[in-house]
Amino acid sequence: MWNVIKSVLAAFFGVQKERRRQEDFTHGEPIKFIVVGILLAIVLVVVIAMIALTVAG
Amino acid sequence: MRMVLAWVTGMGAAFLLAPAVYANGWNMPVGVTEISQDIYSLHMAIFWICVVIGVVVFAVMFYSLFRYRRSQGAKADNFHENTTVEVLWTTIPLLILVGMALPATATLQKMYDPSGADLDVMVTGQQWRWHYEYLDEDISFTSSMSTPGTQIRGEEERADEYLLDVDNPLVLPVDQKVRFLLTSDDVIHSWWVPDLAVKQDAIPGFVNENWVRIEEPGIYRGQCTELCGKDHAFMPVVVHAMEQDDYEEWLADRKEEAEAEANSVDREWEMDELMERGEQVYGSVCATCHQDDGSGSGEFPALAGNEEMLDDVDWHIDAVVNGVSGTPMAAFGGNLNAVELASVITYERNAWDNDTGDVVQPSEIQELLE
Amino acid sequence: MAPKLPPQHTLEQSSATTTAGQAQEHDHHHGGPTGIKRWLLTTNHKEIGTLYLLFSLSMFFIGGIFALVVRAELFQPGLQLVEPEFFNQMTTMHGLIMVFGAVMPAFVGLANWMIPLQVGAPDMALPRLNNFSFWLLPVAFGLLLSTLFMPGGAPNFGWTFYAPLSTDYGPPSTTFFIFSLHIAGISSILGAINIIATILNMRAPGMRMMDMPLFVWTWLITAFLLIAVMPVLAGVITMMLMDINFGTSFFDAGGGGDPVLFQHLFWFFGHPEVYIMILPAFGIVSAIVPAFARKPLFGYASMVYATASIAILSFLVWVHHMFVVGLPLAAELFFMYTTMLIAVPTGVKVFNWVTTLFRGSITFETPMLFALAFIVMFTIGGFSGLMLAIVPADFQYHDTYFVVAHFHYVLVPGAVFAIIAGAYYWLPKWTGHYPDERLGRWHFWLSVIGVNLTFFPMHFSGLAGMPRRIPDYALQFADFNMVSSIGGFIFGVSQLLFIAVLIKCVRGGEKAPAKAWDGAEDLEWTVPSPAPLHTFETPPDLTSQAPQRH
Ligand code: HEC
Ligand SMILES: [Cu+2]
Ligand SMILES: [Cu+2]
Repeated sequence: MWNVIKSVLAAFFGVQKERRRQEDFTHGEPIKFIVVGILLAIVLVVVIAMIALTVAG
Repeated sequence: MRMVLAWVTGMGAAFLLAPAVYANGWNMPVGVTEISQDIYSLHMAIFWICVVIGVVVFAVMFYSLFRYRRSQGAKADNFHENTTVEVLWTTIPLLILVGMALPATATLQKMYDPSGADLDVMVTGQQWRWHYEYLDEDISFTSSMSTPGTQIRGEEERADEYLLDVDNPLVLPVDQKVRFLLTSDDVIHSWWVPDLAVKQDAIPGFVNENWVRIEEPGIYRGQCTELCGKDHAFMPVVVHAMEQDDYEEWLADRKEEAEAEANSVDREWEMDELMERGEQVYGSVCATCHQDDGSGSGEFPALAGNEEMLDDVDWHIDAVVNGVSGTPMAAFGGNLNAVELASVITYERNAWDNDTGDVVQPSEIQELLE
Repeated sequence: MAPKLPPQHTLEQSSATTTAGQAQEHDHHHGGPTGIKRWLLTTNHKEIGTLYLLFSLSMFFIGGIFALVVRAELFQPGLQLVEPEFFNQMTTMHGLIMVFGAVMPAFVGLANWMIPLQVGAPDMALPRLNNFSFWLLPVAFGLLLSTLFMPGGAPNFGWTFYAPLSTDYGPPSTTFFIFSLHIAGISSILGAINIIATILNMRAPGMRMMDMPLFVWTWLITAFLLIAVMPVLAGVITMMLMDINFGTSFFDAGGGGDPVLFQHLFWFFGHPEVYIMILPAFGIVSAIVPAFARKPLFGYASMVYATASIAILSFLVWVHHMFVVGLPLAAELFFMYTTMLIAVPTGVKVFNWVTTLFRGSITFETPMLFALAFIVMFTIGGFSGLMLAIVPADFQYHDTYFVVAHFHYVLVPGAVFAIIAGAYYWLPKWTGHYPDERLGRWHFWLSVIGVNLTFFPMHFSGLAGMPRRIPDYALQFADFNMVSSIGGFIFGVSQLLFIAVLIKCVRGGEKAPAKAWDGAEDLEWTVPSPAPLHTFETPPDLTSQAPQRH
């Protein structure tokens, strides 16, 4: 699971190692990546929204 | 290869020239408010960041194109990954952007604080003119483009202020916090004056807020920036910023005029007076759609020789005061006063060979409005 | 950038194509439909791809003519050639035709031709649906163009058709416009479904997702984006339809509706749409640059991951088109931050291409020239995009020519140059002949000069204060506009050279071998040039070699 999260975070950042990609595509199930991707996107939204709301006061 | 060289020189020249050109007044104006100056600094900061990144990236690119030409016997390497480098060149832009986000956020916070305004002006967009109302002063007027059609069609030499001049500019005092309340009577417009760094959409059914504190007296020009139909290009904004004394003098004059007009509602008006005033109102408000000579165009009906209108005064008055719902013909009862309405209707009934001889008195209209 | 195929494999492939050749003859013997019917009824991915590309090319010229009308009117201050009403119709139709009729169908055409070839499939997964998707397009755009001849004229409210200008104040033809956009939208969705089905189900045995060329990857992600946002567009135009014809007031403030809601819905579609038009371009450039640098793409893995996450993040930035609408401070900040964030992985891809060039062995054939120009000018468009993300500055840039300059840099030398680069790159595969190199160079240089003359001065006219979508302008903008107009005509006319190249290439020219470019590595280069009508009827088996990238 931690690996999936790491991969999704790497995707958000836009950098990934070839070796890790090979692993992701041989072992991981795609659905895991999609679910984690969407969840982390929601986390991202919440975090940025919190920042924006705090700054806006 | 020569081509690549030509390209390098060309792009290099463009990049070096661009900032030089910027310095020559082709750039965003610095403007005359604190906010506009902040924005200008943000704009230049992000611009130079882009230039620096661009120079580095394109230098590497054109160096590679030049150095690793196959025609010069370059053998291809096979490397295709270096996570450290990738992380580095992602992190650095990210940090630069965070660096940009901080001052941008600060400026935005300032812009979003309209509190403590000295003066409130309601700005209403209408196809295709602006209506200004000084909320605490009981003054309102319409501001339409004054550039004549002859200049647009090239029959007359174009003035310096071509398309950027109006009959009644918005007059504001300097060093006062002026709050704008913006809305629209028809479609979305956008009120923009570059020197004041105020651009705000005027949206039907919404009231938007913005503000300005002008630091220097002067005349500042802008335009509507949201496509609003046929004459979108022809609804300029002109702001005349004055010292406090001059502003107060202007205000007093305006009030006097308004009062005189209000008092004159009850008296009997002469045909000539109404025609004169009517021509002025017609030119400033109605001509964009119905044309100067009343000939109309497209979906805008001709008023010259318009039987329906000429046969029935009450119908005519109703059309102008209450508008024709579901069409661009707005209800002018809310925008124009009784004198203006009476005079423009009288004008329409007698101009361009309409010659009905009908006189509509302001008092009649006043009754209708009440 | 795909599996390097060992020689035995190529041998195996050529035997497969022999069967393909026979199969083709087989078809003809039994008198498949001929003449016009053959094209109307075809279910072959190559023929449908060709149809898409030809359709897109013709729309490109029609939309281009509209643009030239606009540029001609703007050559000088004053109203000379057209009335403001017609001018607005031209800007609107130019935008609609170029976005929905030229760029999107061009990418679908390239997908049709190349995706089956790149994944080793005999055809698209759903061939009849494919035929239907294509033939919806001429209907949609025939309808749209016919509005020019209707009373009241064509749509005149800009390609973003903001309400209430497009609803309460729109011309009578608006209903036809809505209908045609619905049809085009259905075509896009069906096309996207087909592409996804093909990529997920029809890859040659042994080709794993991780072995797919980047063009296939970017298209897979684009197709998901299309399926996600085209229904939103369909929803918003249906709401317009109701407002116009059935008395609802979704967007009519007078009836309690909300004009700003329109913009939220439109841009919720519109921003991902921007990526729909650029991601496949990334895929094409990522095929061409390594091929002519003879070196694997730098950071393939990063490219795939970033593309996938861009797809998700592209749903979180739409409000950057609406910063002056009057939204609360927190909303402005949120969307400024997300926009800056998404800009980074997008922009960094440029570094990957540049690094691919580094220590390569580079040649400059026409496809490479266009791909290189893409990198440079897309980057310039990216820079102005970054500037636009700074909200306070956007208050000055918004709805001026600065924005026009920005999106034309990412769309013309961006998306369109990538499409042209792709065409030059794959023409040998399509026709069996190399495109004329000399004409190609002329086409390239004139295009580059024309594009920059047209769009670079727009940065200045915008900063100096010229609003977009105006038929007449103040005198201080005159010089910039004159240069832009001259550039526009150079660019427009030089596209005729492209037609010349295409005709010449179809008719003859230097014969291309199966592997037309020595640095090109994907599966399509294993089938003969020109690619026979049927390829990969026996799928290439990549299992035994366990192909490894790089
Ligand atoms: C935004 C464009 C616009 C402006 C400005 C405008 N009108 Fe109109 N006007 C119209 C349209 C459109 C109609 C036709 C309505 C209909 O379809 O019945 C119309 C109709 C009329 C009519 C009824 C004539 C007829 O045959 O329907 C009168 C009278 C009239 N306008 C007077 C005026 C006056 C006076 C003014 C200025 C105070 C004015 N209009 C400003 C668009 C405009
Ligand atoms: Cu306007
Ligand atoms: Cu966007």
